[in-house]
Amino acid sequence: MEWLIFGLLAVWLLASVFGTLFFKNPVHVILSFLSVILAVAGMFLHLGAELLAGLQLIIYAVAIIVFYVLVITTIPWEKIKKFEGIYKKEALIAFPFFAFSFGAISYMVLKGNFQVSNKVPAENNIVSVGKTLFTNYLFPFEVASVILLTAMIGAIILGRKEE
Amino acid sequence: MTIELAYILISIFLFLSGLFGVIIRKNLITLLVSTELMLNGVNLGFVSMDRIVGGVEGQIFALFVLTVAAAEVAVGLGLVVAIFRLRGYEGSSEITQLRD
Repeated sequence: MEWLIFGLLAVWLLASVFGTLFFKNPVHVILSFLSVILAVAGMFLHLGAELLAGLQLIIYAVAIIVFYVLVITTIPWEKIKKFEGIYKKEALIAFPFFAFSFGAISYMVLKGNFQVSNKVPAENNIVSVGKTLFTNYLFPFEVASVILLTAMIGAIILGRKEE
Repeated sequence: MTIELAYILISIFLFLSGLFGVIIRKNLITLLVSTELMLNGVNLGFVSMDRIVGGVEGQIFALFVLTVAAAEVAVGLGLVVAIFRLRGYEGSSEITQLRD
């Protein structure tokens, strides 16, 4: 049963990744990236990370995708259509390197000695993540808010009209 | 081979295909989408390693990766709009220097 769910999610993910890489139209690329996000959220649910699956849906599928689509609507469509598709020669040259590195890393993962712990979590996922986040990782959490503030100021300065 | 190892293989595939997309895409917006693919692959690797180890620290790091992804997409799309506004549209092969 676990392998059936894994197979379905993996086939869905692979199909949408190929769509993201090879579609011509940027709107089609963004829609297939939305499909990738939904598949990854399903994988998070299957791995038992419910909080992260919800956050993936809220942050990626709502905020980031809508932001991409808004940016595409602000730019004239002819300018977007002028450069589309992929560099074919670079793709042909780069593909063997990526196939080799995928094979090498997969070999190391499969040969490595991973011992899966069968420790059942004592409380539910959201409670344990929240406890660890607000005790051991409180300072990185505050630093993340500073990063978001800096990004907001930077985006405002970049998006401003030049006088 | 357990199911966690299979998920780690999927995450490696997702990361490498994002890198491949960064190399081969022509359009700047689709290039940014490929970096998001790489970030998703890293998140999936964190969560499946977390299942192997049996803790929650990987999920917390994945949360920070989500935060940085939101910041990165705001700044990156701001840069893309600024490039469109300054010089008309340029493909990713024509932006070879950081100034006019």
